[in-house]
Amino acid sequence: MVNENLVKDVVKEPYKYGFVTDIETEKIDKGLNEDIIKLISQKKEEPKFLLDFRLKAFKKWQKMKEPDWAGLGYKKIDYQDIIYYSAPKQKEKISSLDEVDPKLLETFDKLGIPLTEQKKLTNVAVDAVFDSVSIATTFREELAEHGVIFCSISEAVKDHADLIEKYLGTVVPASDNYFAALNSAVFSDGSFVYIPKGVTCPMDLSSYFRINSGDSGQFERTLIIAEESSSVSYLEGCTAPMFDTNTLHAAVVELIALDDASIKYSTVQNWYAGDEEGIGGIFNFVTKRGKCLGKRSKISWSQVETGSAITWKYPSCLLLGEESVGEFYSVALTNNLQQADTGTKMIHIGPKTKSTIVSKGISAGNSKNSYRGLVKIGTKATGSRNYSQCDSMLIGDQASANTFPYIKSQQPNSEIEHEASTCRISEDQLFYLQSRGIEFEEAVSMMVSGFCRDVFNQLPMEFAAEADKLLALKLEGSVG
Amino acid sequence: MGIIEKIKTNKSIDNQTEIQKICLNKLQSSPLPNPKSEQWRLSNKSKLSTLLDYSVNEKDLKLDITYPKNSQSTIRLVIGDNCQINLVEENYSINQLSEDKLVKYIKEQISCFDQNENWSDLLNLSLNSTKNTLGFKVSGSEIPPIEIFSHASSNSLNAKTLIIFLEKNCDIDLLQVNLGKDNSSLSQSTFLCLEENSSVNHGVVSYGENKSNLLNSLNVIQQKNSEYNLGSLHFKFNYARFEIRIKQSEGNARTNIKSMQITKKDEQISTYTKIEFNGPNGFLDQINKSLADDKSHAIFEGSIIVPKVAQRTDASQLSRNLLLSNFAQIDTKPQLEIIADDVKCKHGATISQLNEEELFYMRTRGITLTEASKLQLSSYFQEIISFIPVSKDRWDLLDKLLNEN
Repeated sequence: MVNENLVKDVVKEPYKYGFVTDIETEKIDKGLNEDIIKLISQKKEEPKFLLDFRLKAFKKWQKMKEPDWAGLGYKKIDYQDIIYYSAPKQKEKISSLDEVDPKLLETFDKLGIPLTEQKKLTNVAVDAVFDSVSIATTFREELAEHGVIFCSISEAVKDHADLIEKYLGTVVPASDNYFAALNSAVFSDGSFVYIPKGVTCPMDLSSYFRINSGDSGQFERTLIIAEESSSVSYLEGCTAPMFDTNTLHAAVVELIALDDASIKYSTVQNWYAGDEEGIGGIFNFVTKRGKCLGKRSKISWSQVETGSAITWKYPSCLLLGEESVGEFYSVALTNNLQQADTGTKMIHIGPKTKSTIVSKGISAGNSKNSYRGLVKIGTKATGSRNYSQCDSMLIGDQASANTFPYIKSQQPNSEIEHEASTCRISEDQLFYLQSRGIEFEEAVSMMVSGFCRDVFNQLPMEFAAEADKLLALKLEGSVG
Repeated sequence: MGIIEKIKTNKSIDNQTEIQKICLNKLQSSPLPNPKSEQWRLSNKSKLSTLLDYSVNEKDLKLDITYPKNSQSTIRLVIGDNCQINLVEENYSINQLSEDKLVKYIKEQISCFDQNENWSDLLNLSLNSTKNTLGFKVSGSEIPPIEIFSHASSNSLNAKTLIIFLEKNCDIDLLQVNLGKDNSSLSQSTFLCLEENSSVNHGVVSYGENKSNLLNSLNVIQQKNSEYNLGSLHFKFNYARFEIRIKQSEGNARTNIKSMQITKKDEQISTYTKIEFNGPNGFLDQINKSLADDKSHAIFEGSIIVPKVAQRTDASQLSRNLLLSNFAQIDTKPQLEIIADDVKCKHGATISQLNEEELFYMRTRGITLTEASKLQLSSYFQEIISFIPVSKDRWDLLDKLLNEN
């Protein structure tokens, strides 16, 4: 028999990103109303179209009901008890990184995100978002040489208003769902990426989201546009301090790929998950969607979800262009009292579109981990194909693993294949590895890593190693 | 007066039995299921309202069964007109359940009902008086095959209820046939209770005529070491809904399900299954096949629930679908809800059309396209049909299906 206690000890590894940065911040009053929205817009010196967009979204949000179909159990969120704008106080305009508050740079250093370019060894440009605002974006000049725009969305609103007006809300409309409407009304910052025609982005782009204050929500918005024959790989990481209150994170990510363009979007989500009793942690309600508008365009989502008390996230692909491709690779790990309801939506609209879904769920402790996905093949999607694979691994007899695939086909000349399985860490395999002199924990870690291999293979190099370590860390001691 | 109006104005259903009163009370405030609920969201609302448009008919219906009996010993029953059975033979006995026992059992069932999930049963029990209820218990060995017919008459809704208790160590072949008529609705609710070591080979064949509708619900409780095999076939209904709920109350039981629905024209046929394992070592092997042609819509939703007590459960569910027309649609949702860790659970789903390579191969061998398609379909159907306990020489279901295609 596997030593249950040993496994439990391993999971108890503390959350190492849980520190709070003591920095003076500018916060507005709690609550949500039209005036607050106007104030946010005013602080960000936004053009009128954006304020109208926000107010319209707010009106829609007021008429909407918080969704409960995922069956997630969490205490009701008081939307009037949240600060919708919080920013570290700093000089008005930053022209170089030297002007960024050293405390902030220190914070990101501590998180392992190098912002000072001299120290950078890896070829990754970073946009660091702290609470409601973007602090710094690195490698901008190098990127600009190739015509790539990589900046915070607030800057993009000022400098590239035409692109924002043209594309914002076209993939995830303000009325899409409750949390998307909320985000559209109050979004504070996020990243904006524009890859011009024919350009392969010379380096990986990355944004790092950090929630620092306990009473403010984070509502960032990311917009990535890949013009014809361009390609980009984008990485996203998230952490938050440990508070015993729940913090709301409602983000929207919109991707647009035109003819022959390809976007790879990878996430390692490690928000604070709450303690063993389920106190504290981030409520992570995220709407991510990509539109393959052009012919032969490709959008690939890969995600490693290990944090958050509640995860409600379904990165989707709208496959409109002929022969466009959607991919979704996910590892979701839940422990203690975490709840994750995640999956994807692949909507095949154009002919000869293809999608692949590989989802791996690992549930330990008393957690609940559900895969919820939709594959829909419309009447015009002739010759389309989908392949889905959802595997769950259960660790301990208190965790639950659910699979809810919704499959709909209206096109006879198409093929859909779905398979799902549930298993546990096999004692035979553990015994085998241990008999070969491999430590128990290492053996578990190897098996989990093997279970997730299909997904890790899809992650960019920098993330794959991190994800592997993160998973091993999170799981330590949870095998019973 | 339509059914819903009748339910709302409770009093217009005369001489209510105790069960009817309980169910009517449950339905009165919200007589229809929630169209947004998971169980009903894909259901065609206008078709469902057509089903409920007919008035309830409790009269004795004459059924002329043209199919020959399997053997002289086959027991054939037609639900309706106070149908009863009491047989005591050397090796076995089949006895009518007393009204008290029936009422007690149904009450127990109703207490666990969910308004949306069990709406079909609630409707059935609220519309059915004891006249159209058949309840019996079977014990002993070497029991002859039992065939039970339910049918509807034109321009009316008929509600029929069947309750069977299988005592320990019993082994039966049971065939249920639901027949729809032109412009008719049939509500059939079946409750089966399998005691320890009992085994049932259950066939459910439902076929209608033009514009016939069916609400068919099947509730099975399996005690330990019991085995339940179900083969079912639903076709030719304007609207049909087959709900299968199986509970392995103590685990250690085996369940095999092979079901199929065939839709054409603008028909909608759906199958909903819910299999619960309430004990360890349960086994399930399930396959559902759908074929949708013309402008029809076939739906399958299956859920497997494995709570913590159900360790070492081995469950698999497969949904295979053929979509044959540009205007037809198929929805499928096989789902797993698992808490126990030492389990083997898997599910799969495919939607495609006839295999082109196979068709091409057959055509190169001189077989026409029509014949080649028929051959492919017959192998597709055969897996399910061979599982239904019906002897081939009496009811050639395969021929019936192929010739209509």
